[in-house]
Amino acid sequence: MSDSDLRKETILAAANNLRWEVGDNLHDTLMESIYENATSIANKVVEYPDKKQAFSLDRTLDKVLTSRYLGFPIMFMILAVVFWITIVGANYPSVFISSILVDSLHPMLKNFTNSFMPWWLSGLLIDGAYLAMAWVVSVMLPPMAIFFPVYTLLEDFGYLPRVAFNMDPLYKKVGAHGRQALTMAMGFGCNAAGVVATRVIDSPRERLIAIITNNFSLCNGRWPTQILIATIFIGAAAPAYLAGIASAAAVVFVAVLGITFSLIVSWGLSKTLLKGEASAFSLELPPYRPPRLLQTLYTSLIDRTIFVLWRAVVFALPAGMVIWLIANVTIEGNSLANHFINWANPAAFIFGLNGVIILAYIIAIPANEIVIPTVLMLTVANLGLNNLGSGSGVMFELDSVADTAQILHAGGWTLLTGINLMLFSLLHNPCSTTIYTIYKETKSVKWTVISTFLPIILGLTVTFFVTQLWRIFS
Amino acid sequence: MNEPIILLIIGIIIILILVFLFYPGKGIIARVKRSKNASKKILIEDALKYLYNCEYNQVVCSLNGVAGNLSISADDATDIISKLESLGLVDAKKNELVLTPDGRSYALRIIRVHRLWEKYLADETSISENEWHKKAEEIEHMLTPEQANLLAAQIGNPVFDPHGDPIPSENGELPIKKGKLLTEMQPGEFANIIHIEDEPYAIYSQIIAEGLYPGMQIRMIAVSDKRIKFVANGEECVLSPLIAKNITVGIKKLEKKISENYKTLSSLKVGEQGTILGIAKSLRGQQRRRLMDLGIVPGTKIEAELESVTGDPVAYRVRGTTVALRKQQADRIYLEG
Repeated sequence: MSDSDLRKETILAAANNLRWEVGDNLHDTLMESIYENATSIANKVVEYPDKKQAFSLDRTLDKVLTSRYLGFPIMFMILAVVFWITIVGANYPSVFISSILVDSLHPMLKNFTNSFMPWWLSGLLIDGAYLAMAWVVSVMLPPMAIFFPVYTLLEDFGYLPRVAFNMDPLYKKVGAHGRQALTMAMGFGCNAAGVVATRVIDSPRERLIAIITNNFSLCNGRWPTQILIATIFIGAAAPAYLAGIASAAAVVFVAVLGITFSLIVSWGLSKTLLKGEASAFSLELPPYRPPRLLQTLYTSLIDRTIFVLWRAVVFALPAGMVIWLIANVTIEGNSLANHFINWANPAAFIFGLNGVIILAYIIAIPANEIVIPTVLMLTVANLGLNNLGSGSGVMFELDSVADTAQILHAGGWTLLTGINLMLFSLLHNPCSTTIYTIYKETKSVKWTVISTFLPIILGLTVTFFVTQLWRIFS
Repeated sequence: MNEPIILLIIGIIIILILVFLFYPGKGIIARVKRSKNASKKILIEDALKYLYNCEYNQVVCSLNGVAGNLSISADDATDIISKLESLGLVDAKKNELVLTPDGRSYALRIIRVHRLWEKYLADETSISENEWHKKAEEIEHMLTPEQANLLAAQIGNPVFDPHGDPIPSENGELPIKKGKLLTEMQPGEFANIIHIEDEPYAIYSQIIAEGLYPGMQIRMIAVSDKRIKFVANGEECVLSPLIAKNITVGIKKLEKKISENYKTLSSLKVGEQGTILGIAKSLRGQQRRRLMDLGIVPGTKIEAELESVTGDPVAYRVRGTTVALRKQQADRIYLEG
């Protein structure tokens, strides 16, 4: 060993011995003393301009929005208004876009491609890929284009951090972060956007909890399914004058059930799988400020709406082709879809569902929006009702609820099937867009798989027990 | 007709079986994992560790002590010791068991992994302090020295574990034991807790329940055969000597003396202001860094601004921003009294 090496060794050994002397918190002590010096210097030389006016307005607002008696009622009212605007307001543009993309453009494209393509190619491309894409755009775009800007406005104004602040005790009890209330609310708009929104949770463990449980928020794509099925089955089971209220109550019940599940699962995860992950709480309450309308519109459209829509479209194209193929490829005179439905029916019966629903949820994985059109198409194809629908492998929806009900009843659906579909629609795997987003955000196959299969297992368990109890007591 | 009933029963049975299998800590899977751990290698390593601790604390170590510490019969203990002798790790002289140099370095390797892992759990995860020791007991038999070095590098080559025990260096160096027992302090004396013994578990969890932790500054009030009375974190604390014997105290050179008068951040009422004195040592790792990032460092002015609907969390104004903290955190941030 050379002389300098020896000297180095001696110095290192001496340094190591000194480390025992200075204790375990040398870094903190150093950092704290640096901050301390900086603060004392800053206190001497920095003056803060008088901002009393704006500040006191902030405090008054805060006092009201987080007050003991008004805090929660104001919060529920604001959220109710946001959802009402989204659901009611989205209807009109949705019908309009659908009439262009599905009702007008689809037949035109079909006629045009038929003129030079073999029937199977135009079926695959137009009836399959194009139609799935058109459906996703027309049903997904309007609610998002309304919900995201409104949500972003509330965020920009500074109200949402106060919601997290008020809700924190509840989330603390289940081992989560108060901001999960916000990502959950975002999930009501779109789970994929909700998963992205968990970036605001700076503590790794709480963020994972928020990501995995986001799917329990009933997203925009599932509201229409819930409303339709509730109207057909729950509304019809109630006396006529109560039908509207009964079906609305059923939908709200399912949404609240979703919130309950998200809390229970958060609690379970924080006690078991996620026990060891790092956790650190803090919540900044930014000052209130007038929302910047144009900027908000722009960012929420580009960052959230277009982003989510693009991913959904990318997934919808191949899925549309698969949907068309399984309805049109036949083996021994029966389509692949029919083979699967007949094969899955007995197993699905145990869960109070049917083969059509199972298949629809498997192939409509790109977007919850196309579950009902797929269910209708499969039911009609399975029953051989050739006078209904738009042809083999072509998804469709009916304007009249009564006609839809007729098809479902013909498919053997009962009140129990309806209830179970509503439950399964709440508790099943996230759509492929969300799954992909979860992977992008967590960079972990393990958590992606857990977020995907945990809700399915829960859903099958719940529908299973509901079905058995229903059959025993009815 | 009976079909749904049968299915229902089958469903319930399946769920019961799954619970039985996977219940954390008590399920079959957890039990099988644990029994697999009780292999001979682990017993040998645990015995070495125990012998080393005796040596470090300058206590004579007997065969019965080994049997008691590992909760095995005297026969099994004899078995283990003769195995250790044949491996050249232990010298048995009359009633005394002594480690050979090889045995000592083996024991230090295990202790190094154990304490590194405790430090890792304390700083980088949210596992509660009651479980650090138990988890480290498992992991210490699994990591190779290379893996231990990687782990050490990753968490900044720490020299003390969260209980205040020194972590042996890669070459097995340890400082000479310092400090004195809590029971040996004089009334009126100031000191820092430098070590809390984590075994036996029953006593350790009592100390933890009192909110005591290494690094904490205390002032002795009274020492007697029946009870030890001292001030810690501005609160009076009384322990029996039996428990107090598991706490070691010492004076640290670099530490500045925290004034006697201080209060916790959580004691501020809305509208009141205070100056931050420091963050408790028990807020570690990521939690501590996050608070410092937010500007919660000594000398900063802080004001309680807003209570949430239920009174927890509370929003504080610090350095021109408003930050909400949970009570559990505010309890561990100190202000000038």
